[in-house]
Formats: sequence, structure tokens, C-alpha cells
Amino acid sequence: MTLQSNHIPTETDLIQGCINGDRQMQQLLYDKFSAKMYGVCIRYSGNEDDASDILQEGFIKVYNNLDKFRSEGSFEGWIRRIFVNTSIEHFRKKVKFYNVTEVQENTIEDNELDALDLLEAKDIIKIINKLSPGYKVVFNMHVIEGYSHKEIGDILGIKEGTSKSQLARAKGALKKLLETRLNKAENDTTIL
Amino acid sequence: MQNSKDKLYNYETPPPEEVWSNITKQLDNEKVNKMPFKRRSRILFYATTAAAAIVIIFVSNQFFNKKTATKPIVQNTTVKVDQLLSQKIRDSINLNYQILETIINAPEDQKLLAYNHVKQEGFAKKYITIAGPEDQPVKISPKVATLIISADNEYPPRLVWDKKIDKWKQIMLNSTLSPTSTNLMDIFQTAAANVE
Repeated sequence: MTLQSNHIPTETDLIQGCINGDRQMQQLLYDKFSAKMYGVCIRYSGNEDDASDILQEGFIKVYNNLDKFRSEGSFEGWIRRIFVNTSIEHFRKKVKFYNVTEVQENTIEDNELDALDLLEAKDIIKIINKLSPGYKVVFNMHVIEGYSHKEIGDILGIKEGTSKSQLARAKGALKKLLETRLNKAENDTTIL
Repeated sequence: MQNSKDKLYNYETPPPEEVWSNITKQLDNEKVNKMPFKRRSRILFYATTAAAAIVIIFVSNQFFNKKTATKPIVQNTTVKVDQLLSQKIRDSINLNYQILETIINAPEDQKLLAYNHVKQEGFAKKYITIAGPEDQPVKISPKVATLIISADNEYPPRLVWDKKIDKWKQIMLNSTLSPTSTNLMDIFQTAAANVE
């Protein structure tokens, strides 16, 4: 399919064009989703170089697997899942999860992290990226992406309890980081 | 915290420009790499089809051969011969056997030339080449040659020979074979005439 001057391709056109290997359609798909998916990659990777590699790998997977998309859910959701999985694959080599005996962690309520709402997204990401890779992945998957602990356990090959404890620790670490940042900001303000 | 969740979920930031060019390069490479695979697949497809065809032919051949082999060949041949041979031909063959038997069982003083020839070593394998009426060479099998030579003798009686030759002529005239000057029967009669 070639792009006509007045024709705005629909999602179906984009999908079909990409399946047919139409480079123009592939670029349109890239333009439409690259910024959002790069955001996902940055959240998981923590640095731009790795995020760029994941983005590239993810889009190649998208182009090669578009014929498997069944239009049952949202197209963006399907693409996002590919990028999340690619990010996880990318870091599975680096991150080792240990199945630990389930220990009652100090539960941190979400409202204790409300201070995050005061920050810009890129600043939140900076803080999240200070977490250890294991904490960061579980936090991203559960809190941001909405995966259940069972799903996280299946994807990462860990026990459900391990996922829960990783999240609890991630939240604890995040709380400390947030407090440090807020204290620093307070101090900076006082000095000023 | 919900606010920050949404912010993170929808967070967008433009990727470096070189990512798209890297993707196109990779896609082009995959295309190039995929081509030979497609060709290989096609070759593999044809090779498999050819192999399958050969196997099918071989198996069917074996199957039908087996089927043919299981049939009683002797019986089949006998039936065919019976169908092909008319009564006249059968009579002729019987007469031929009678003559040969008579020659072989003839008393010592009436031994025929043919018999002597048969006794000679290697005779049965030899063919006799005679000159036809138009001086053309005619190759005669040892069996027929024996009969021709035996016609030279008194025994079996001339009447028997004439009867046999007439019968053969009749058969040949009734068949699709058209008698010519080089016809075997003519040769017989020529030989008989020469004897007379």
C-alpha cells in the first residue's frame, strides 16, 4: 500500500502496510509509538543507550509479529507488552532474582509515596532509576503496568512471594530516596 | 500516587534519531538474509516433491509388480497361447513334432541327413544361410534347416511333407503375413523340387 497525499492511514492500514513490508507505513507506525515506547524503555533500562537498543529490538519484533495481532485488545496495549517483555529480556541477563522465603515485609502504603505526584515524570523516573534493577523491574511491572504478582512471577521466573517482597522493598527504598530528595530540596530552599 | 502512576504510564520522550535508521538497516538486512532462505525453501520444496514422486513411483511399481508376480504366470501364458493359437496352427505343430519324432526314431538304415546333422557337435547352435530365389541370403534356424534337409530323404514320405507344407501355406495365407518369393514355404518347395 502506498500512502496517498490526502489519505490518513487508519490503524488497520498501518498494520497491513507493515505486514506487507511497506517502509512508509513502518515509519508511520514508528512515529506514532516511538516516543511513548521509548518512555517505557527508559523506565526499565535507566539509561538512554540501553533504552535505544531496546527500542530498536522492540520495533523489529513488532514488525515481524504484526500478523499475530488479533485485534482482540488495544493495539497500543499489544505493542507496549512487546516493549515491556523486551525490556525484561534485556535485563534478565543482568538481574538475578533469588527466590527467598516469604518474609513479612513492612508494608508501605501507596499514600506514603504521594509526594511523587509533586514531581515531573522525568524526575520520578530519575528516582526510580536509582533503585536496584530487581526492585525497579517489579515496581514498574506492578505499579505502573498493572501486572499482578502472579504474572510477574511467571514472566520473571520467580515466586509470587518474591515479587511481593521485592515490591515492598522497592517502595521502602523509594520512600527513602524521596525523603532524601525532599529534604535536599528543603535545605536548598532554606539556603536560598 | 495515582497521579504519578499515570504520569509514568504515559511518559513520552523522543528517541535518538539514529534509532530509526538502525531499524531500517536491520530490516533491510533481514530482507537480504531472508531471500536466500526463501530460495532455499523453494529448492527444498522441489527436492522434496521430486523425492516424494520417486518414492511414490517406486512404491507403486513394487506394488503392481508384486500383484503381477502373484498371478500364476504359467497359467496366464497357457491361456494366452491357447487364445492365440488356432486349431490349424496346433495341428501344424503336432504334425511337426510327429515328423521330428519319426526322423529321430527312424531305423538305422533309414537315418536321415538331418538326424546326422543334429548329432554333430554344435549343430543346434548354427544357422544355415541359403540363397533365395532372387539370390538374396536367407538365414534359416537349425530346427527348420533340419526339416528342409530331411525332405531330401525318403522318409518321412513325400505325401506327409506335402501335407505339412500345404497346411503351413494355408495358415500363412489366412494370416496377415503375405507370402512373397522369399517366403519360407517357397523355399521349402524349391528345396523339395530340387530333390525331385
